[in-house]
Amino acid sequence: MRFVLNADVKRQSLGVRIFNPKYIMVYATLGVFFVIYLFGAIMYGDRGFTSLRTILLMFSDNAYVGVSAVGMTMVLITGGIDLSVAAVASLTGMFIAYGTTKLGIDPLWCMLFSLAVGTGLGLVMGAAIHYLNVPPFITTLTGMFLARGVCSLISRESISIDNPTIDALAGWKWILTYYKDGQWVKIKPMAYINLSVIVFIAMILIGMYVLQRTRFGRNVYAIGGSEQSAKLMGLPVGRTKIAVYAINGFCSALAGIVYVLYVKSGWNLALSGGELDVISSAVIGGVMLTGGVGYMLGTMFGVMLKATIPSLITFEGSLSSWWGKIATGALLLLFIVIQRAVVTYTDRKKAA
Amino acid sequence: MKRKFDWDSVVRSKIFWAVVAEVVILLVSEILKPDFFRIEYKPETGMLYGVLIDILNRSAEITIIAMGMTLVIALGGTDLSVGALVAVSGAMALKFLRWDVTQYPTPGDYTIMPFYLVILAPLAVCTLMGAFNGLLIAKLGMQPIIATLILMVAGRGIAQITTNGKQFTTMYTPFQVIGQGHLLALPMPIIITAVVVLCVALFTRKTSFGMFVESVGVNPSASRVSGLQSDKIILIAFMITGFLSGISGLIYSSRISSCDSNNAGINNEMNAILAVVIGGTSMSGGKFSLAGTVIGSLIIQTIVTLVYFFGVVSEAIMAFEAMIIAVVIVLQSEPVRKAFASRRRRGAAATGGAVRA
Amino acid sequence: MRDVVLDMKGISIQFPGVKALDNVDFSLKRGEVHALLGENGAGKSTLIKCLTGVHHMDSGTITLDGEEIKPSSPQAAIGMGISTVFQEVNLCPNLTVAENIFIGRQPMKHRQINWKAINQRSAELMEHMGTSIDVTKPLSYYSIAIQQMVSIARAVDIQAKVLILDEPTSSLDEHEVRRLFKVVRDLKARGLGIIFITHFLDQVFEISDQITVLRNGKLVGKYDAAQITKLELVTYMIGKDMNQIFNLKRAEQKPGAPVKLEAEHIGIPGKVEDISLAVKQGELMGFAGLLGSGRTETAEMLFGVTRPLHGTIKMDGKALSLKTPLNAINQKMAFCPEDRKRDGVIGDLSVRENICLAVQAKRGFLKPMPPREQQELADKYIRLLSIATPDAEKKVGELSGGNQQKVIVARWMATNPDVLILDEPTRGIDVGAKAEIQRLMLEMCENGMAVIFISSELDEIIRCSNRIIVMRDGAKAAELDGENCRQSDILAIIANESSEVSA
Repeated sequence: MRFVLNADVKRQSLGVRIFNPKYIMVYATLGVFFVIYLFGAIMYGDRGFTSLRTILLMFSDNAYVGVSAVGMTMVLITGGIDLSVAAVASLTGMFIAYGTTKLGIDPLWCMLFSLAVGTGLGLVMGAAIHYLNVPPFITTLTGMFLARGVCSLISRESISIDNPTIDALAGWKWILTYYKDGQWVKIKPMAYINLSVIVFIAMILIGMYVLQRTRFGRNVYAIGGSEQSAKLMGLPVGRTKIAVYAINGFCSALAGIVYVLYVKSGWNLALSGGELDVISSAVIGGVMLTGGVGYMLGTMFGVMLKATIPSLITFEGSLSSWWGKIATGALLLLFIVIQRAVVTYTDRKKAA
Repeated sequence: MKRKFDWDSVVRSKIFWAVVAEVVILLVSEILKPDFFRIEYKPETGMLYGVLIDILNRSAEITIIAMGMTLVIALGGTDLSVGALVAVSGAMALKFLRWDVTQYPTPGDYTIMPFYLVILAPLAVCTLMGAFNGLLIAKLGMQPIIATLILMVAGRGIAQITTNGKQFTTMYTPFQVIGQGHLLALPMPIIITAVVVLCVALFTRKTSFGMFVESVGVNPSASRVSGLQSDKIILIAFMITGFLSGISGLIYSSRISSCDSNNAGINNEMNAILAVVIGGTSMSGGKFSLAGTVIGSLIIQTIVTLVYFFGVVSEAIMAFEAMIIAVVIVLQSEPVRKAFASRRRRGAAATGGAVRA
Repeated sequence: MRDVVLDMKGISIQFPGVKALDNVDFSLKRGEVHALLGENGAGKSTLIKCLTGVHHMDSGTITLDGEEIKPSSPQAAIGMGISTVFQEVNLCPNLTVAENIFIGRQPMKHRQINWKAINQRSAELMEHMGTSIDVTKPLSYYSIAIQQMVSIARAVDIQAKVLILDEPTSSLDEHEVRRLFKVVRDLKARGLGIIFITHFLDQVFEISDQITVLRNGKLVGKYDAAQITKLELVTYMIGKDMNQIFNLKRAEQKPGAPVKLEAEHIGIPGKVEDISLAVKQGELMGFAGLLGSGRTETAEMLFGVTRPLHGTIKMDGKALSLKTPLNAINQKMAFCPEDRKRDGVIGDLSVRENICLAVQAKRGFLKPMPPREQQELADKYIRLLSIATPDAEKKVGELSGGNQQKVIVARWMATNPDVLILDEPTRGIDVGAKAEIQRLMLEMCENGMAVIFISSELDEIIRCSNRIIVMRDGAKAAELDGENCRQSDILAIIANESSEVSA
């Protein structure tokens, strides 16, 4: 005999599938992004705000935040947090700057070294968090102090990089063209894709794949949903948690490399407060600090959304950048209020 | 009902290890450099001098902020905006210390605004900002990290705009006394810190506010059903933190006789949180220890001072700080504390008597 | 295939200061439902934790299908074929139903997770269990009853040999329990061995074949369910004569007692329809009904936890405006909530602090209770309720469930209310403690307090209440006189016009 409880069976219409509450956060991000973008287009479209060049430049200028946000998204989904990302990125920059200019080591080896250090630090922090039960906030805060400290030890002043490999990597461009009248013509104003953009997009895609299509990625979500349940269900909680922090360490170092290509220097105060930039980008992108919820694509839009504001201010030209800080704060506020509203709305619907 | 002295739970408590750490660090310093503990009194200035005095003096800003942070963390949250509020406080105070340029062309011992306003206005504004945080969290249900992130980001911008990006300076003596003066042979910041700690301690332990904070921190919904007004409690805690950040900002800007909105309060939130955690209050909320927080702040400052004292290159300070804090945190972590406690118990059992069932 | 699938012999484990298990034996046959009973602290959960690899036993052997095993962790135990379904359904609420069933062992296609296969197979599994649901919805979308089904589906699909059901029915209503038992019988037929842990004795007799009783860490005995009476069983469990325990009498109703608390046509559309009630001084009013029938919701309206959208609440004839629980407390009301873990126990605080909390809340934080007064109050109730704690400073989180419940009841009694509402105060605690709480309630009525008592155990309701309100589907279905009421009467009212479920 079968029990069919009418209350439990729901017919799934297309509308219901698209408006799955899980995706609402991402839609909200997209929505706000388009609104702000539209505002910019209307105000500054004639000054080139809407050109492909500007869009690609936004990707390029914020690639380092984006790369770091990929790792941070995973950490946040497990319900943890990592405050050391900007410090590790800055340390990476210092390794590369010091290594190439003062020690004459080939920059590629410096980069590999940095990636190893970043991943290693992540491993150690992950182990401390899992085995010693130290809260992630504190552990990674200590990691941040350590990384900044070592960075300062290496050099107090900023070091400029003048190295052919670095210049080549930084300067590599793929200038976009379109077919017109039988020839390939450059787009005006000149729009190009550089290495940073490629790394950024690639990391997002890899992140999406890992989170949605691998067992490891799904374990990350499970731990965020309920670590205790995940343990009792026999999932490899310890390994996954530690791996997530190690991966984030790798992403931080990679972000540092991308940043070095951007500014071509190393400085111990670089990216101060950057960790909160990354975290707030992810939150704007729909990742919940409580864990268990978040999409890589959402994070990408979160990064872009946060980046639009400084871009708008640059176009406006007359406002001091302090207003930018205030505007970013206001945007964050707006965004979180939307998040709360969505959560409350879906909760109420569920109870009914 | 009297309880026998419970060694087991003392050894297992975090604050015990914090005190041990501080004592060890101080002893090691004394051994390595015998002048460490020396305090001398100079009758010309009427003040005490010495490394220990220095430590107490320089830890003032963090200790004061950490008093409020302790309550916020006990409620289960964090306040990341304190550093920005320090900047706002300094900027406002300096802005109010303007003088009539037509009468006095150079900075000196005069000001237009009545002095009490110079003090009260920044404190009021910071308290209001604390209330803003509290409202976002209590009424809108936002997570504290995110809610306070807003002011952390926007606050410095506000501070800069207050002074239009300029760094004001002042020579007004009553204001300079706050950070540079002395009372009872001790530097003023130490006195202010002592008063603040005393007030917060009395407020939390002589009224039921402390217990209410702990209750809401452990279980907010049970607290509500039991009749506690958690909204009010959260609001008050964040307002206190805002107010204390304001005091800290006044001390900081008074020390340098100017306002530096870029650097004022930098890393204060992180140091305050560290002080609270090292002092034994758990980040998940619940029981808190103000004494522990004071010790935690002293540990941080001792390390920094030590590092200077031993001539370690100032660049290495952060790294050193990190290493020592890492050690303290590891020692305080559950598995390690349990290991120590069970060693004691096994030892006690071996000598014929369980310390505690 | 062997008949005995699980054989535990001579299991002993010592914790600091207490021997939790002392030479306990337990065996389970294929296709058998075996209940494991005992008071709180008897060792049931410890025994299960040894079996599932959470604890490592000091001595004894565990044999699964003839082979000796030593489960080192929950992961290992699951791999050996021992699965557990907990009361608090240990699944991940943010993942879909299908994903919860397959997480950790998802079928792969081209090195990627095969979502289609997962969704399809999960839908089939749930149908097999008689619950056709949309498996692509998040788990949190569904009720606890459905979530338990998902948990069982996962266990079954993992080819469990032994399925442990740990207090599965505590959060289920009548027809959800029926459905669960149907599934259990199906699994029995398939040859699974099922260990059933519960406090509901009637259910034990309904579904189990064998019963093992533990007391104070020792094995009392193994009995055939068909050949033991409930009275004998309880006697084995608590070692005392049950009749003595339950020799309780209803509170005497004084004629002409005034009405204390009155509700007129209060309600929240969707949760509780128009309901009116009046409780007299010294009266015990019982609330019977299924889970979700609106009893807790009504209580929450009376106490100011939620606000009714219409109607009035009166105390001593005066209309009240209850915006928060504090308003109700100031009107001398008290409310002991259903979910003591979420709404009652403040784990890190001491017994003393927990007991004094509501009294202190009423006074506000500016008027603290002097330490001596707090100590006296705490000591008074520790004695009165026989709360098992070494002293008043012990953290409440470290007490057993029954004692925690007593602390919460003490908290509310300490406010000396005129009206006390108790929502499922005896749920999940042992028989001895249950009896004590009921005795206390009746004593309070004798002293003039008006008590509202919500419970799912009909015999408790009938034993204690002067008047009984039966709730059904969010509305008051009937009001009965406690003296002249039988279980069958109440059941009939509840069953009347039930939802479109084919039983």
